Amino acid sequence: MRLIPTFIINASCRAFVISAAVALLSFVASRAQTSSLWDQPASSLSDQIAAILGPGQAKLTIRNLSTIPTDQIPVIRKQLEQNLKAHGVLTSGAESANAIRVTLSESAHDRVWVAEIVEGNETQVAMVHFPLNAPARSQAQEGMVLRKETIFAGSDPVLSASLIQNSFVALEPEQIVIYSRTENGWHEQKRVSLIQKRPLPRDPRGILIPNASGSGFEAWFAGARCTGTSTSGDWAVHCDSSDDPWPILQAGDANASATLSAFYNSARNYFTGVVTPSLGVNLPAFYSVAFIPRPVGGAALLIAGIDGKVQMLDTGTLKNVSGTRDWGSDFAVIRSGCGAGTQIMASGSGEAASDSLRAYEILSLEAVPASAALSMAGSVTALWSAPDGKSVIAVVQSPTNQYEVDRVTALCN
Amino acid sequence: MRWTVLRRFATSCLIAALALPVAARTRPHYGGTLHVEIEGDPWQRPDGLARRLVFDGLTALDANGQVRPALAVDWSSDDNDHRWQFKLRPGVHFHDGTALTSVNVIASLTAACSVNCPWTSLRAVGSSVVFVGDSPMPDLPALLASDEFLIALTVTADGKTPNGNIGTGPFQLTGFNNGVLALAANETCWQGRPFVDAIEMRVHRAMRDQWLDLGVGHADIVEVPAEMLRQAQQQRLTVDVSPPVALLTLQVSDSGPLANPMLRSSIALAVDRATLFNVIFQKQGQVTASLLPQSLTGYSFLFPADRDLGKAHELKGGLSTPPLTLSTQGSGAMQLAAQRIALDLRDTGFNVQVVSANAHPDLILRKLPIDGAEPYAALELLLRGAGQTPPIIEPGLAALYKAEHELLDRHTLIPLLDLPRAYASGGRVRDLHLLSDGTPDLANVSIEDAP
Repeated sequence: MRLIPTFIINASCRAFVISAAVALLSFVASRAQTSSLWDQPASSLSDQIAAILGPGQAKLTIRNLSTIPTDQIPVIRKQLEQNLKAHGVLTSGAESANAIRVTLSESAHDRVWVAEIVEGNETQVAMVHFPLNAPARSQAQEGMVLRKETIFAGSDPVLSASLIQNSFVALEPEQIVIYSRTENGWHEQKRVSLIQKRPLPRDPRGILIPNASGSGFEAWFAGARCTGTSTSGDWAVHCDSSDDPWPILQAGDANASATLSAFYNSARNYFTGVVTPSLGVNLPAFYSVAFIPRPVGGAALLIAGIDGKVQMLDTGTLKNVSGTRDWGSDFAVIRSGCGAGTQIMASGSGEAASDSLRAYEILSLEAVPASAALSMAGSVTALWSAPDGKSVIAVVQSPTNQYEVDRVTALCN
Repeated sequence: MRWTVLRRFATSCLIAALALPVAARTRPHYGGTLHVEIEGDPWQRPDGLARRLVFDGLTALDANGQVRPALAVDWSSDDNDHRWQFKLRPGVHFHDGTALTSVNVIASLTAACSVNCPWTSLRAVGSSVVFVGDSPMPDLPALLASDEFLIALTVTADGKTPNGNIGTGPFQLTGFNNGVLALAANETCWQGRPFVDAIEMRVHRAMRDQWLDLGVGHADIVEVPAEMLRQAQQQRLTVDVSPPVALLTLQVSDSGPLANPMLRSSIALAVDRATLFNVIFQKQGQVTASLLPQSLTGYSFLFPADRDLGKAHELKGGLSTPPLTLSTQGSGAMQLAAQRIALDLRDTGFNVQVVSANAHPDLILRKLPIDGAEPYAALELLLRGAGQTPPIIEPGLAALYKAEHELLDRHTLIPLLDLPRAYASGGRVRDLHLLSDGTPDLANVSIEDAP
């Protein structure tokens, strides 16, 4: 009878002790981590100060003109004092003939720590600089949750990309680059220059489609078509001039019952509206299309026109879709299995500095949000359904002109 | 009764409007004519708007000021940066159809820079251009992106001198009538055809008229001088503002009446930067006493910018000078700033007269460009802009600070303010961004209601 409460008390105590120990360790670890951030620059600056000042006493003052949080200043001060002490320079806040005025400053790219060493009327300057670290960002999520996984990042523009076997294939405006997976990330395996008949437009587009066997791809871009095949990991890529229509929707894609090809205006950035096979209706020029399932069976074609309108081709008639005010020009279908099973993933309108992706369901000619917006690290410049239909591949251009290829999947709540 | 009907009607209209599908924002449209207005000369150096539209450099700076390939696709250096080889982009043509070759690149660079060039000699090697210098040229790729070294056609394929400005850029000159410069999209531009079909640039347009034209839809993009930024914000104009891209500087002659460095030092201490900043430039930009801005170096605060009238008097002592002349480039705020500086200097006993364009003024108030993310190259460009020979600087931030300190100790350039550039745009302009030098990237602008 008495053992139980004793056990409970002991367990509570133990839990408390463990929690306290974990908290203490976390605190110590975080202090150690932040302190280690400043080790190198503090040591380097102290070396320079000591070389100028030599052993002796000096008054140390620190001012912060940088984005370093105020609570870090005592940590930095302590490190400077310890390093200076090791060189025989004893610091204090009291008046002294010698003074060390340390300013924690920064430029657009670097942290710059400057020490002004005052000996009588003479002032000498020592400085160290090291890269600024970008702050980490968190993201709140709600509703059907979109998850982003960055597959690839680089500085060259990417028009379309795909994971094929153990390779990552990137279609760029002037080349196709194939990367193989290594322990250290993607390693460039092959680079094939594309022969351009004429300069590309300013907003070039392309599409890269893995073939059904998963051992190769077809790539389409303005005025040309390439095929790539992999044999035991070795890639062969062949390109030809071509004005043929692009196979923008594949049989087996999310709800596409047949392949739909569309003629691309290779001097501009849109499809002309001429598709094959013909749908029996004159389509407007468009940026994106997708097949979406209808509740009554079959599929309807969703079209993002170059006039900014989103329309649906259903039973031979084009009808306007409302609720698309926040959509950009790009969308793709995702078979998430959540809600109605299939959603449209649309890029944002680009009004904000950074773009976003959001899942929608089309209910009675109205686009209804099915997820919270997923913030992207820049503008979404291309968006395609992944071959399995369960995710979309987005190409994102950051404000600093870096490109990343993200796979976005949806998780049901 | 009447109000109820009206209210119902208004509510119905609102509901109907909300129910209608709203056109979404799309990818950029091609087509249309962009109307731009500027106060200055579109061909002036270093920031004439037309120059960046018509010409390209061997290299370019991206929006972050980093060097990227342009007419040259690749470059390498050897011999400790004394020799550089730039490989030209194949398949590029000037607006008249002449192919870009190493020979016409050399002709253009030679015409642009005959003396005081960063290099000693130029040589064509196949499709490459080789630069050789007596001194190391570590910043040559960044320097070649500057306005000074944009490539223009100087001799046509049949050996004639071309009429007008012919480059390889996204727009080609088609005419100049009634103060309007007409530019047409270069369909075969190596960077891709620009989105708009044409640009009509009204030049020498007074700032007040530019803003009026923007208000009534006659202009799409107009200038906003730093001193009018606050006013533009109050008027709720859509304004794009650059980081500091121009250094307002007082350039002091080191010959004639100001040959004595004590006098120049006295002038540096007598100028009241705070008044220039607070009153004339309406608290835009940053007060500075360094050549390079804080954003490039992080050490700008080491140069004191406060006025020290006592020390200025002390340095001037009993030295007397004849009346000094001060001229300025620009109108409006620049003229006011010159007048203010003349007053400041009179407090120290200098007799300064503000004069209009003068061949040899003792003092010049001017804006010097600050371009790029590379501080060494930015300093070299700035000094070249001021007509000074850049020193050779050892690598490292401390060496750069030392070099800047020595340059400032001569008191031939007195930094005053770091100023931004800004442009206001109308509702139909899409994707207006400013380049690293603060000029608008018009080749990537599109028009909302383009056909």
